[in-house]
Amino acid sequence: MALFITKRLLMALATVLVVAVLAFLLVHAMPGSPGAVSLGAGASEEAIDEVNQRLGWNDPLLLQFVSWLGAAVQGDLGISLIDGRSVSADLASRLPVTASLAAGATLLSAVLGIALGVTAAVRGGTVDRIIGGVAGMAVALPAFWIGIIFVYLLAVQSSVFPATGYVPFEVSPQDWALSLALPVITLAVGGGAFIARQTRASMLEALQQEHIRTLRATATPTWKILYIHALRYASLPIVAGIALQFIQLFGGSVIAEQLFAMPGLGQAVQNSVSTHDAPSVQGVVVIATVVVVAVNLVLELATKFLDPKLRAS
Amino acid sequence: MIPNVAPAPADSAEPTAAAVLPKAPRQSAAKKFSGSKLFASPASIAGVIWLAALVVASLTAPLWLPFKTEDQDFTAVLSGPTAAHWLGTDELGRDLLSRIFASAAGTLGTSMITVIVAVGLGTLLAMLAAAAGERVETVISRVTEIMMSLPGTVIILAVIGAVGTNIPLIMGILGVLISAGIYRVMLGQAKSLQSQLYIDAAKVDGVSTAGISLRHVLPGLTNTIVVQAALIFAVGMLIQAGLAFIGFGPPIPQPSWGGMIQGASQHVYDAPWLMVPTGAVLALTVLAANAIGNALGKAPNATASHLPSAAARRQRGKAVAAIAATAPASQDVAKNTLSVRNLSVGVDSVGAGKGVRLVTDVSFDVEPGTVLGLVGESGCGKTMTALSLLGLLPSGVSVTGGQILWNGKNLAAATEKDMEGIRGRGIALISQEPMRALDPMFTVGYQLTGTVRRLRGIGRADAKAEALGLLEKVGIVDAARILKTYPHQISGGMAQRVAIALALAGRPRLLVADEPTTALDVTVQAEILSLLRSLVKDTGMSVVMVTHDLGVVADLCDQVAVMYAGEVVENGRTDSILDNPRHPYTLALLAADPHANHGADMPERLATISGQVPQPKDWPSTCRFAARCQFAGSACLVPIPLLPSGTGDGVVRCVKADELAVEGLDWLATDVPSHHILNLVEAPAAATRTAEKDPA
Ligand code: SF4
Repeated sequence: MALFITKRLLMALATVLVVAVLAFLLVHAMPGSPGAVSLGAGASEEAIDEVNQRLGWNDPLLLQFVSWLGAAVQGDLGISLIDGRSVSADLASRLPVTASLAAGATLLSAVLGIALGVTAAVRGGTVDRIIGGVAGMAVALPAFWIGIIFVYLLAVQSSVFPATGYVPFEVSPQDWALSLALPVITLAVGGGAFIARQTRASMLEALQQEHIRTLRATATPTWKILYIHALRYASLPIVAGIALQFIQLFGGSVIAEQLFAMPGLGQAVQNSVSTHDAPSVQGVVVIATVVVVAVNLVLELATKFLDPKLRAS
Repeated sequence: MIPNVAPAPADSAEPTAAAVLPKAPRQSAAKKFSGSKLFASPASIAGVIWLAALVVASLTAPLWLPFKTEDQDFTAVLSGPTAAHWLGTDELGRDLLSRIFASAAGTLGTSMITVIVAVGLGTLLAMLAAAAGERVETVISRVTEIMMSLPGTVIILAVIGAVGTNIPLIMGILGVLISAGIYRVMLGQAKSLQSQLYIDAAKVDGVSTAGISLRHVLPGLTNTIVVQAALIFAVGMLIQAGLAFIGFGPPIPQPSWGGMIQGASQHVYDAPWLMVPTGAVLALTVLAANAIGNALGKAPNATASHLPSAAARRQRGKAVAAIAATAPASQDVAKNTLSVRNLSVGVDSVGAGKGVRLVTDVSFDVEPGTVLGLVGESGCGKTMTALSLLGLLPSGVSVTGGQILWNGKNLAAATEKDMEGIRGRGIALISQEPMRALDPMFTVGYQLTGTVRRLRGIGRADAKAEALGLLEKVGIVDAARILKTYPHQISGGMAQRVAIALALAGRPRLLVADEPTTALDVTVQAEILSLLRSLVKDTGMSVVMVTHDLGVVADLCDQVAVMYAGEVVENGRTDSILDNPRHPYTLALLAADPHANHGADMPERLATISGQVPQPKDWPSTCRFAARCQFAGSACLVPIPLLPSGTGDGVVRCVKADELAVEGLDWLATDVPSHHILNLVEAPAAATRTAEKDPA
């Protein structure tokens, strides 16, 4: 087990490192030097050179990367070219927004998806076809469009929820929840549909296993076969689906944050990309990768825990 | 935002009965692309029509569009549908219809870039990994694993930072990211194609590796490629629109679907209509691509469900009620005697293979304390007969007629609830593959103790003691340790003992054993058989033993019912049938079985039965064995009744049974059907060839 965890940790580290290199190279391919970006149009050649010199832009690439990495390991992701603020501090204040969004949407997707998927598999017939049809529609609808419709129905027409904005948890837990509601629901439509399909397929596969027949032959009540034995068998792919969904929703938050004006990582990456703010882009890519890789790691451990065959070895 | 494209949750139909029908002789694993599938569902037909119309409309847009995309009509800003502007206008009075269709070609075209790169690269990598061996595969798999664990959206945005909103380039890079998922989908299939026999043959013929991949592997992947292409096309459109929505679309004022929806989102308050047309067109296009992908990708179900869905159970309930209504009042049979009367089993009248009969008109009795063998090749309906005794036929298959009489009840017409009372307590089941019969997710102890508690209604502590006792009874020495193990931690023989213990948990009076030793080693087989024999002796329960092995029959059974193609062809006492078989099929089985031949008359050569059991849908109305029978004649071409065979209460279904008995004919050791026998005698060459085929 210890060996397994070490191996996976090394793999995760390698992934983050690869992405760090990739992000570094991409940022260097951005048009405009840091000096030009931070001083804006109309700055003199000398002033730009002076800033570039100070930021080490003219050093060899390898040296630049190593010094960035050295600082990053200590939690310093540099300084924004646009407003001169610490990138780490900025991202640290944004991470909770995106994390609550993604976690909330994943949770809702999982609850909805498992309930619908199990129902479709268990009930069959018309119920199955209806759920299948709705899920098919839901995965095809773009999240941003669904979001607008929700805003129209739930915020404009009936003002159940605030249409835009984000209230930090520390300020007011209740308003925090309300401000998350619409974005979370919006993202959970597609996510829930995905997990519903995954769950249905896994449940059907579980019910095709021969041990289900043994359970019936020993007069096991149907509810127990379905909700204890079959669901337990199906839990592995379902958990994998949920983890994948979290990763996707973490990325999908870019759209939700834009639509609902939420100050999260997605908004940060969108802003910094449009303004060519190299350190911010680099920072956000690395942070997002760390989150995604960490979730994958947790997934793998969960799988290992859930599967008796893997747990024993 | 970048959806996962790894093994998509199959949008499979509910398991159907097609799965339980005996398989036709090996089909090629290569799934060829079939256009007919595309037009099999209304959704995919609509999808094809929509996409085609969209492409045509957008390509010819300059010819028919009422407005230029930039034309501003200040008299109609943010208007709904009007005669002039069919789909309304945006905040600058631009015509939505014109803008939607003018930008369609670009959207579809650039999405195709993602498709081509993703599917092309993914397929190429999969074929490479399949062809170049394990080491290359490991490397490629590792790399794709890393690619799949990246935050795709953020990376694409960083790329946009570097290269700007160069849509074709970005869609290409997106394709590279997605190709990792495609590789995962394709790899298994590419490997199985690569390893197929015809590819070995091609290798011998000196075709290069690349040649094999292109000529043999690629065609087999066509269907998957098309399916994935359709799905990725949808993904590409969604992502492209998403990017445009957050401001990374084509440069302003060029219209794009995502950009237009973004514009609409600014006017939710004053012009909600604005978001409808563009969103609907985008959603319909994505739906169309998905519908095509799903229709082509729909996999026929390989196996049937062992627990039918609620809807299927309701249907079966109705069928059972219908049988109950028509069935004659159940006659009284002695206690704990099983009496099967004219049992028929068939595929339900929906879905593939509808209405096919799997078992016809089967009758037999099992007295308490005796063992009945159901013998025959696979595909003869033995297992279906056995499962119907417990009401455990797979979904899509049900009893269509006849009676199963057990302690005053007709089980063929019993409700699911009644059956639940009988399963485990009255009639128990052990099946062929013990490993698969146990739930891999729970310990032996959990499964056994729970079953004991349920079937005996006793407390947890008593049940635990009882479980230990049961394991000891089936010959497990370290029962306490086995209780703590998971099924995968014990051997096959041990698992079968556990399965038998499970079956005994409710003290059943009848045990249905479906080939309980077939999957086990020879030595273990003998142990399990002797265990069953002693259990019958100790408990006085009766057994229905499904087997293809006459050795098992000779060893264990008191009575034998020989089944061929869904019907009983001979039934009687084991000793009389083995010593004096009356039906040619029984004769043939005996001649082909090394163990069933008693020492003295062990033949020098073993016979084979040429041909195969016909598929259920091909069963003739004449003698069903006629096509393979060495004694077939014109008298055999009518339906043959089951008649007393003359020995005891035995019955046999053959017009020539008496003749055979008198002449004492043997089944010849040859794989040549009867009408060739004369030739065989005359042609020494053929005879030699047959002799060569003798088993070593
Ligand atoms: S009826 Fe004819 S074909 Fe059928 S088993 Fe008897 S001899 Fe053979």
